Amino acid sequence: MVSAGAPGTAAAPPRARWRVSPVVAVLWALGMLVVVAWAAPFVWMVSTSLKQPGDIMTPTIEWLPRRVTSENYAKVFAQPVLRWLVNSLIVATTATALSLISGAMAGYAFARLQFPGRGVLFFLVLATLMIPSEMTIVPLFIGFLRADLVNNYAAFILPSVASVFSVYLFRQFFLSLPRELEDAARVDGAGRFRTFFSIALPLARPAVIAAAILLFTTNWNAFLWPLLVAFTEEMKTLPVGMATFAPGVGGQTQLQSFGPAMAAMTILTIPSLLVFLVLQRYFIEGVISVGIKG
Amino acid sequence: MGFGTYVSFTEWGVMGDPQWVGLENFRRALADPFVPKVWGNTLKYGLIVVPATTLTALAFALFVNQRWWGATLARTVFYAPNVVAVTVIGLVWVWLLDTRFGLINQYLGAAGVPNVPWLTNPAWVLFGIALASIWWDAGFSMVIFLAGLQDIPKELREAAQVDGASKFQVLRHIVLPLLRPALSLVATLLIIGTLRVFSQIYVMTNGGPANASASVIMYIYRIGFREFELGYAAALSLMLFATILVVTAVEMRMLRVQRW
Repeated sequence: MVSAGAPGTAAAPPRARWRVSPVVAVLWALGMLVVVAWAAPFVWMVSTSLKQPGDIMTPTIEWLPRRVTSENYAKVFAQPVLRWLVNSLIVATTATALSLISGAMAGYAFARLQFPGRGVLFFLVLATLMIPSEMTIVPLFIGFLRADLVNNYAAFILPSVASVFSVYLFRQFFLSLPRELEDAARVDGAGRFRTFFSIALPLARPAVIAAAILLFTTNWNAFLWPLLVAFTEEMKTLPVGMATFAPGVGGQTQLQSFGPAMAAMTILTIPSLLVFLVLQRYFIEGVISVGIKG
Repeated sequence: MGFGTYVSFTEWGVMGDPQWVGLENFRRALADPFVPKVWGNTLKYGLIVVPATTLTALAFALFVNQRWWGATLARTVFYAPNVVAVTVIGLVWVWLLDTRFGLINQYLGAAGVPNVPWLTNPAWVLFGIALASIWWDAGFSMVIFLAGLQDIPKELREAAQVDGASKFQVLRHIVLPLLRPALSLVATLLIIGTLRVFSQIYVMTNGGPANASASVIMYIYRIGFREFELGYAAALSLMLFATILVVTAVEMRMLRVQRW
């Protein structure tokens, strides 16, 4: 209490921070209320998934299930969910790995190599960033159909291998990297590939992490393309397969099916949410680096 | 792209080869009553979603950027829906927006508001879908605003405060004007996102009721992949792409003007 100075003096002691004006308190409380509301759909989803069919539609809100049941999860696993999960894992990891490698190599080439037409080529690459994937999906689908590349893993993976986003991210990163280290390696007799794999790529770890996370979530959550090229039940990816639990809006069936639907959604959400919570700093930094510089 | 442009001048039902029909597909689009309908839906949806998401995201960014307890927690929670698959967004919100037993209407009912037929009434369905999209998307825009906020030099705010500006004045006259680049980026991304809106609608209403929520891409999807008229679908795609190009070009021009 020694330094309880007059309120508002510039040189107020650290204690002054604890004095909260009512406006700030109200703003803070409002914000926190929104935080709770924002998290509520997740809680409600999990809670519904654990309820017995009779307890789901209640005239009053019941946040906690009266009787916990795993019946809804059993219904979900009656479908080939594990198969869908394996499909999703194979597709998302392969596509992410391939687009990381191709992105890193192409980005490196754009940042370091001198070749004729580099500027034009890079502009073309960037221009495709402006074209939303839905635009190219009809011609792409036709092409894949003609090449008989449907209903197999290659059909899922190939379109996402050449990721412009990944090329761009790596180019920007390599441009900011000092050349001297690579020059030293060259002087010591390392070729282009050696220099790239043993010097440049290890230095690009932050870019690799950011790109890997963003690419993986994109691939994991991809919906329209897998919906088009998966012709049979066992070739569906997890998001597409889980969509079959969608209850028809306004239909009578929906009264029965929200339990299994929410169980399916819980299963689908947990992996991405876990990855996000563990790596959230990289997530947000990744978005900043793409969102602002892109 | 080039192939798509070519196909848009043809009639092609997947089987067999495309037949050259010239501008027929484009003439058909102009006469098709569904084309103004789906463009109108998309526009209405954009008029709801773009301002609402921008304001929500801006408020979130300002809230999270404070040094008070819970800011990091709030940032995590606000961003979390963005990492979740669109199927989840759609399904969970179908349940939340259920007219009789949905959480939203139950709470509104407790506040004395009669049940809103969020997804079953043509007049409400776009609002219902917009709610889900805001929940899904606001976190991403928030991060762009956050990056913008962190680019504002501290000295500027401090100088203003020393000069006796209130917190609100600092926000109004310093922070918001300097956030303009972030604002245009967010707006551009949201407008483009609106023009290509599809998956939420596909999962939540499949375009219904009475086509009131059918977006442009939804229609292209139906024409191309349900009725297998790939030529016509490609023509519709080309028109959408041209629109997106124009929007992007206008936005970039505006951004450049602002820099002067």
